[in-house]
Amino acid sequence: MSLKLGAMLPEVVRHLFRRPATVQYPFEKLELPKRFRGTPVMDPDLCIGCQMCARDCPSEAIEIHKESETTDETGKVKKRFSMTFYLDRCSHCAQCEEVCPRKAIHLDSTFEHGAFDRGSLKIIYK
Amino acid sequence: MDILKVLLYLLVYPGLLFLFLYSTFVEWVDRKLYAKFQNRMGPMYTGSHGVLQPIADFIKLMAKEDIVPEKADKPLFNAVPVLALASVLTAGLLLPVWHFSVSTPSATSFQGDIIVMAYLLSLPTLAYFLAGWASTSMYSVMGGVRVLTLLFAYEVPMFLAILSPAVLAGSWRLAEIAAYFQAHPAMLLVDVLAFAVALVALQAKLERVPFDIPHAETEIVGGAFTEYTGRKLAMFRLLVDIQMVVGAGFLAALFLGGFPGGLIPGFVWFIIKTMIIVFILSAMRAVTARIRIDQMVAFSWSWLAPLALIQLVIIFAIRGYMP
Amino acid sequence: MSTFVLPVGPQHPALKEPTSFRFLVDGEYVVDADLRLGYNHRGIEKGCEDRTYVQCMYILERICGICSNAHMTAFCQGVERILGLEVPKRGLYIRCLMGELERVHSHLLWLGVAGHEVGFDTFFMYTWRDREIVQDLLELISGNRVNYGMQTIGGVRRDLDELQIKKCLEGIAALKSRTPYYLNIGATEPTLVARIAGIGKLPKEKALELNAVGPTARASGVEIDVRKDAPYAGFESDIPFHIKTDTGGDVLARVVVRAHELMESYDICEFILKNLPSGEVRAKAPRKVPEGEVVSRVEAQRGEDIHYIRSNGSDKPERVKVRAPTLANWPATLYMLRGGYVADIPIVMAAIDPCLSCTDRMAVVTDVRKGSEKVMDWEELRRYGIEFYRRKGIKL
Repeated sequence: MSLKLGAMLPEVVRHLFRRPATVQYPFEKLELPKRFRGTPVMDPDLCIGCQMCARDCPSEAIEIHKESETTDETGKVKKRFSMTFYLDRCSHCAQCEEVCPRKAIHLDSTFEHGAFDRGSLKIIYK
Repeated sequence: MDILKVLLYLLVYPGLLFLFLYSTFVEWVDRKLYAKFQNRMGPMYTGSHGVLQPIADFIKLMAKEDIVPEKADKPLFNAVPVLALASVLTAGLLLPVWHFSVSTPSATSFQGDIIVMAYLLSLPTLAYFLAGWASTSMYSVMGGVRVLTLLFAYEVPMFLAILSPAVLAGSWRLAEIAAYFQAHPAMLLVDVLAFAVALVALQAKLERVPFDIPHAETEIVGGAFTEYTGRKLAMFRLLVDIQMVVGAGFLAALFLGGFPGGLIPGFVWFIIKTMIIVFILSAMRAVTARIRIDQMVAFSWSWLAPLALIQLVIIFAIRGYMP
Repeated sequence: MSTFVLPVGPQHPALKEPTSFRFLVDGEYVVDADLRLGYNHRGIEKGCEDRTYVQCMYILERICGICSNAHMTAFCQGVERILGLEVPKRGLYIRCLMGELERVHSHLLWLGVAGHEVGFDTFFMYTWRDREIVQDLLELISGNRVNYGMQTIGGVRRDLDELQIKKCLEGIAALKSRTPYYLNIGATEPTLVARIAGIGKLPKEKALELNAVGPTARASGVEIDVRKDAPYAGFESDIPFHIKTDTGGDVLARVVVRAHELMESYDICEFILKNLPSGEVRAKAPRKVPEGEVVSRVEAQRGEDIHYIRSNGSDKPERVKVRAPTLANWPATLYMLRGGYVADIPIVMAAIDPCLSCTDRMAVVTDVRKGSEKVMDWEELRRYGIEFYRRKGIKL
């Protein structure tokens, strides 16, 4: 193809009249898709303490602790577990959500985790 | 009364205050146009639609720490930004915006002031080279050497191009040239070739894409400005902006018919005509890539200089046939 | 004329990642070039020895942001071969789709970066605006714009539904109409052609001798592509694929090859989306992998990516070794840089699409005088560094 002086000029001038492609974050936010991998949220009512999530997490961001153990009248033992979750280590891979046998973990749509203090990024789900 | 007018001329318009404010405004226009060409927004938050952004950048740089490299030539290193800024501001005073009369020459409008203007606009280029040389860092020296090579490429076509309207109008005084073209507007079309060459040469003088070889960011980091920080860098950035305004004003006085009408109409004409030139320069910046220094020298001597010469020949022919 | 050493890196605006180049420069000519790597070494291979296969997948994915899917595919493919696991067809197709979408993402990014290196910022902005389309598609399918996490041992982790397929087809159609414009600009804009035509020439014999891979080699006329030589992820059965080469051997040829690969990727994606077979997307994989070793090859965006995996019967791999494509392209780059201009350095380096995060792996300390080798651990390395600078007079 032969060279054309100012080959991009027509397209560039046309852009003077178009809306900019910029989204002015953080004043405007984009809509996130349904299965966006945000922050893990755990429901302690469903957890059975199998530790699969803690074992599979590639960044060692999950610790499962036993909170209480109660035996009711029929002799059934009911244990309750809590999760200590280190948000600053999380790599948002959703392996914990995938591997949980009771679907106790799901990833929400938050991703803005800026904090001034590392300690505030340690979340405990009781 | 006269003293007051002179002070007004020197300090307010077209002196220090006007050049400072208008050059930051022109930088804003350039950045917004460049952004719009690229389908994005440009500055948005400081002031309404980011109008105060260049002033904010200037203030920020003034407040930063001033670092001088250990091996640099300190007196030269510190003096160069100030000298360059002074020369460009002086060049701004020679623009025929007001307080001149075509019949009587004065201190700011005299025979030969076109040459003085061109000379004063070349001083910053020498200043860039000295800045690069005085910094003694590898990237700065390479940038300084490239500045001089670029000067070698564009200076001759630019001089030929800006002297064409002078030859056509038969005078070496900016005010008289502008008055001539105001009286015979059809003659402006004769000079179109020189206008094109002068625009390209101005783009090279201002070191903007496609000719921003001396401070090519991805190759030699910052070129001559690599080691400059803080207040000196602020002065260099301001210098680049003011050079753009003065250069645009210079071309507008020569090729677009000047700024007739005295204080207020002259001011309006100045704004309009310099904006036209800034728009063309911005468009040139948006559609091209940066070329190499040897390609620039080859391009300039194979295309720009011959075109300027052809323009001069056309003008001589027309002058010969004119009454 | 005297020559001097121009350092480019480790920190330099032309480099997106740290590398240390030392150019012997005579005015504007590059007389000689030298390279030192290792600035992006993070100990990933050692980290893999300590983690289960499931954890390894995510570590290896994060070797690089752009080649993330390629690394994950190579690892998962290799482990599946040791296990003798067969991935269902739908899973293979989606695996291929992710690979091709990532290729589109990477090539559009590369076009922008190449434009920026020569100062053509408008081109950069336009290509990156188009890249947003493919990133939105990837976010829709996988949940993230980079590091998709779609591959797993046994298949892919998520399925595609009707709405996603429709959106993908629309996005790809939009990209298909816009991409030929960039190829047109690359061939007709005089300033761009002046910067990229005839620069960084690599003749075919040299490309073969210096073991160039990927688009760098294909632009010199060498027809190598893992998708043809050792097909995987559906390429061995029905997904059509045509290898794209060019004979120029310069940067313009590499632009042309990548633009053609973009068009080819669009065609492959459309074929996959329109002919997606039904069924499962993953097969259940056991946690413990029997003893064995495998070499797994994948055509990443920059060339051939090789993973070597050795297992020992437990749930942690014994050894994982990654050879990224950029490492193979560096000798060819040094050859291209010699004899050129200083102004050509950024574009020639950008033309091989360097990904330093992929390149830097295990660093072995060699004592040049004694000829012995040893591996240092963290404490030892730290002590060595502090001592090194103390001897130079810098207190840490």
